Formats: sequence, C-alpha cells, structure tokens
Amino acid sequence: MTEAKPGPIIDVEGLGVRYGKTAALRDVSLQVPPGAVTALLGRNGAGKSSLVRCLLGHRKPSSGRVELLGLDSWRHRAQLMEQIGVVPEDPDAPPTMTAEQLGRFSARLYPEWDAKGYAARLQRFDVPGRIAFARLSKGQRAQIMLSLALAVKPRVLILDDPTLGLDAVARRAVFEELVVELADRELTVLITSHDLPGIESIASHVAILKAGELLLDEELEQLKSRFRRIALGRVDGRGDRDADGSDLFEGLGPLEVRSRGRGIEALVSRFDDSAFERLRALPDVHSVETWPATLEDIVIALTDGGSH
Amino acid sequence: MLRIDPSDAIPIWKQIEEGVHRLIATGTLGPNDPVASVRELARELRVNPLTVSKAYRRLADAGVLTVRRGEGTYVSDRPPTMAADERRRKLRDAARRYAGTARTLSAGLEEGLDAAREALLELDGQRPAEASDASEGASAGEPKTPPTHPRKHAP
Repeated sequence: MTEAKPGPIIDVEGLGVRYGKTAALRDVSLQVPPGAVTALLGRNGAGKSSLVRCLLGHRKPSSGRVELLGLDSWRHRAQLMEQIGVVPEDPDAPPTMTAEQLGRFSARLYPEWDAKGYAARLQRFDVPGRIAFARLSKGQRAQIMLSLALAVKPRVLILDDPTLGLDAVARRAVFEELVVELADRELTVLITSHDLPGIESIASHVAILKAGELLLDEELEQLKSRFRRIALGRVDGRGDRDADGSDLFEGLGPLEVRSRGRGIEALVSRFDDSAFERLRALPDVHSVETWPATLEDIVIALTDGGSH
Repeated sequence: MLRIDPSDAIPIWKQIEEGVHRLIATGTLGPNDPVASVRELARELRVNPLTVSKAYRRLADAGVLTVRRGEGTYVSDRPPTMAADERRRKLRDAARRYAGTARTLSAGLEEGLDAAREALLELDGQRPAEASDASEGASAGEPKTPPTHPRKHAP
C-alpha cells in the first residue's frame, strides 16, 4: 500500500460515560470519515449530549477513547478548539453582548477568524448586529452561534440540535448556510437533530443511540436501501402459522409486524430483491406492495420501546 | 423545476440525475443551456453538495452535461437519451408502482389502462375529452381497443 487511507476525523472507541451509578454511554464506537455529515440520532436521554460533551473535551470518558483530528479530545481540548466549530444545544453567550461585539471578541481568540464571512452570514440571516444577545429570538441566537462557529473556518463542525425550537424559515436558513459551507470547502460534520426530514437530505451517515448504546453507524443511502415497508394485501391460511405473521418475512428482518384486516404489514430492516421475490411467490399471499421507509420511520422503529 | 423527495427510497443523487434527464426530455433544458452550479442547486434543494456533485459527475460521464472550466456546467450539444435497457427498466418499474395503486383502488385492467392513457395524453397537452376521440365507437359495454393509439405528438 503506497497511499495511506485518511483516518477518521472523529474516532470514538469503546466510549463509556458514567454519572455515579448510571451509565450514560456504554461501549460506543463511532467513526466519522473526512467530509462526512454524520447525523447522531436517538431519543432524549439516549446519550447524544454525553457523546457531544466528550467530543468537545468537556467531559472525561469513564472508559474508552475519543479522538478528533487524531488528538485526544480531553487532553488536547485547547488545541482542538481552534479547529472545531460548535453550535451548542442551548445557545449561550454573554446576554448583554451584541452580535458585533461577539464577533470582535472572537476575532481576538482565533487566529484564522473570518470577519467578512461572519458579517456576511449575519446579513444573510438578517440578524441585527447591535441588539443584545438576550433580547434576540431563539432562531437568531442559533444563527449567531452558527455564524461564530463557521467564522473559525473549522475543519470539524459539531452541531447539537441547531434547529431545535426554530420556526420553518429560520430552520431552512440554517440548513441552507450549512449546505453552502459544505460546497465551499472540506468540512466534516457531526449533527444531532430531531428534525429528521430536514437532516435526511443533508446527512451522508447516520448513527443511532438507544439507552446509551450505539445501534448502528452506517451510510444513509445504505440504511435506506435496506429498510422498506411491505404490505401483504390478503394472506390465506393464517390458522396454522405464527400468530403475528413474522414468519412470512423471514430473511427480511421484520421489525413492526401488524395484521391489517386479512392482510399483514411490516417494516423490514433487511430488504433485498431475492427475499422479496420469495415473498411474492408464496401461494397464500395475494398482492404485495412496498413503500420506502423514511428516516423518521426507521428511527422510530429502532428506538421506540422494545429491544431491537 | 427540479424536485426531489429525500424520504424516497431512491437515493437523492439518482433523483437529481433523473430530474435532469426529465428536464431535457420535456424541453425545459435545451442543448447548451446552463444548469445550476453544484453550490446553487445544493442550496436550493438543501441537500448535501456531494450528492449533487455525484449526480452531475454521472451526467457528465454519460455525456449529458458538459463542464466548461471556469464557466460552469451546461447541457451538452447533443445530450444522449437514456440507454435502452435502463429506459425499459424505469418504465417497467413505474408501471409496477402504478399497477399497485390501481389494484389498491380495485381498478380492473381496462379502467387502469384507460387512466394511464388519459394521463399520458394530458401530459402531451391533449385534454382528456379529446382522448375519447381515439376510442370513439367503442360503446360502453364492449372492451375498448388496446392502448396502441397513434402518437400524434411525436417530439
């Protein structure tokens, strides 16, 4: 091998985080390759914030390791700060400072500070420069945070639910700005979000946490190609079969199986053409329809109750 | 003009690729017309620029788009139409989806074919009323002629 494969930008290995006796994260391993946009998803309390805190070096792992750009995030926190842009879940800045003051303040902290870009983004977001942070709307505060984060010209961007509580217009503006930044330069992003339709068109990878454990970390395109909704219109001779009909979907990884009148519906996690053709060929099954599963369908099916 | 559905099972890059093919087929985009830059289109659709870039690269490889350095991306002089086997596959897939819907609505063969014919004629700018001209003479009770109506609107 003459060419070294570029290592992951974010590399989490066997991460455990405990708060007293409670485990917030258990043995989480996650790699974000260069240029990827990884959506970190899961329910509230699943451990997303704990993971983000470790990435930012705000919290020391109880076990395992966390590296950004090849550096340990806890020990090299100061050094990493210059290369990482952050939009925290709860935008916090000194309440009396205006957007302009925040910009001048940050300019002194960061050698690569992009004052022009900062001003241009505030203008695109239509955020007033001379009104105290505390008096701005939630959307405007989030937009200032994103503008500050991008003005550092970071190699890594960590966004903790940047559109939480924003109205549709502000949300759209945030995603637009993110997309433009991705078009303009090499950037690796980890984003947590509950706005699944919004993130679905931007994410390249998806990682899902449930109760402190990582359920999956894979490319979004692959994830979506293996999940599918299937409806069997009418199934005869159900008497001698499994009660719920899961057996019909053998080999397809059924998650949610429900009977619907004389038919059966399922969300399957391992859709493939040959397994599907077998299903179609079953003599007891009349009419088979399939629908794509949205990211929302997938996340709900995987994280709602149960133990899948 | 170019619309995508991020929740669809078809990858977004493929939807963009097909969307451009469609814009060319409908004449919305003609030879040598400029197309939106990767940055512009990504922004407009709010999709990852890498996704747009992948679609454009495939279209350029297929000779549908031409990248002029420093100028932008354009529709080629003579954009090739879709490969025959791919075209056939797409048509069959779309027909299967439609068949599923028709069956859901418990439409029979004739009704289903009629609705498809009507939709095609509408797209060509003929009003459904004219469509009945083609099958005039077929009274309600008889089976109608199969959908081999002459193409009045050859592009």
